[in-house]
Amino acid sequence: MNQEICRLRKEELAFFAEIGAGVSHEMRNILAIIGQNAGLLDDPLALARRGKLRDPEKLKQVAARIARQVDKGIEAMERFSRFAHAADERRASVDVAALVENVTALARRHVRYDGGSLETELPDEPLPVTTNPFSLQHALFTSIQMVRQCTEKGAALTVKMANKGTAAVLVVSAAAASGNDRLSRRLDELSVVTDELEGSVETSSADGVLSLILTLPIRSV
Amino acid sequence: MNRMITNGRVKRVNTKSNPGNNGEIAMTEERVLIVDDEVEFTEVLSQRMQSRGIAVDTAAGGREALEKARDHCYDAIVLDLAMPEMDGMETLKHLLGENPDLQVIVLTGYATVEKGVEAIKLGAMEFLKKPAELKELIEQIHRAQAKKMLLVEKRVEERMKDILQSKSW
Repeated sequence: MNQEICRLRKEELAFFAEIGAGVSHEMRNILAIIGQNAGLLDDPLALARRGKLRDPEKLKQVAARIARQVDKGIEAMERFSRFAHAADERRASVDVAALVENVTALARRHVRYDGGSLETELPDEPLPVTTNPFSLQHALFTSIQMVRQCTEKGAALTVKMANKGTAAVLVVSAAAASGNDRLSRRLDELSVVTDELEGSVETSSADGVLSLILTLPIRSV
Repeated sequence: MNRMITNGRVKRVNTKSNPGNNGEIAMTEERVLIVDDEVEFTEVLSQRMQSRGIAVDTAAGGREALEKARDHCYDAIVLDLAMPEMDGMETLKHLLGENPDLQVIVLTGYATVEKGVEAIKLGAMEFLKKPAELKELIEQIHRAQAKKMLLVEKRVEERMKDILQSKSW
């Protein structure tokens, strides 16, 4: 049992680091764009001081670009903050739909590097579940990574969620003619996380669509 | 077109375009390829470089960069690491595999010591972290141009030696 906990903690740390590195990379890009735009403002400002600014509209365009990047940065930091604060309590009531939306947004960059895409199909209604929020993020992100790695590069991935009364079901799927065997062999990697969630995981392959299905019991506090 | 070396820097100078300066440096003609999937970044960086007299091409990914590097002669290639389809390290390997004289400056937000060491081992000239100062980047581009010119000079000398030896002179 201790070994399992040790393995879970190690995997959680690696997961946290992977998300943190992705966000820091995104922030560096945003700051680089802001920095270059700020540099671009230098010349017109010097001209303006000498009363020779010919095209003030350009200044407005640069300012708008900076504002857009600041908004992007704020969004990235808010997503990361929601992600990190999920580790505050090991048991809490969370809206699974909001959590799925946040995790897929964080994972999208990783999927995009393979030339792929990641979309969500979520119900409009929130779905509150009492669970370990950090482990749920971990399970979903690992599921997305596993499906991505077991399908062709550039695959279109979809995350769907459904309320089945006593359980919340999350399905990560991609159009793939093969890959089910590889995915099944890797299910063990998820078992330690799904045990923590008291949930289950299985794969399915039908009509050229490969899916990884996470089932999570719905409990109230 | 002449070449001029000043303070360790080699510059191509166009004496025709500025005949009144007794052959002193008239203009540099650095040509740079910026490879980054962040299009907004490449656009703004290009504008700033162009306003400083550097000719800039851009590529949004590794494959496009390879095509452009085959068709054009660049003094430096500014390369991001984390890009879709073909990442920066793979692009770097292909670029230098096809032309070992290329001077590649890695400029990335994916900046770890390990990545830096890997890039330099693969043959990158420099590894810079985003957000980098334009001044620093331009200094590296000057360095790249100087290195490239020295390599070209060396290649010409080697070729000349080969020719002379083959003629038994």
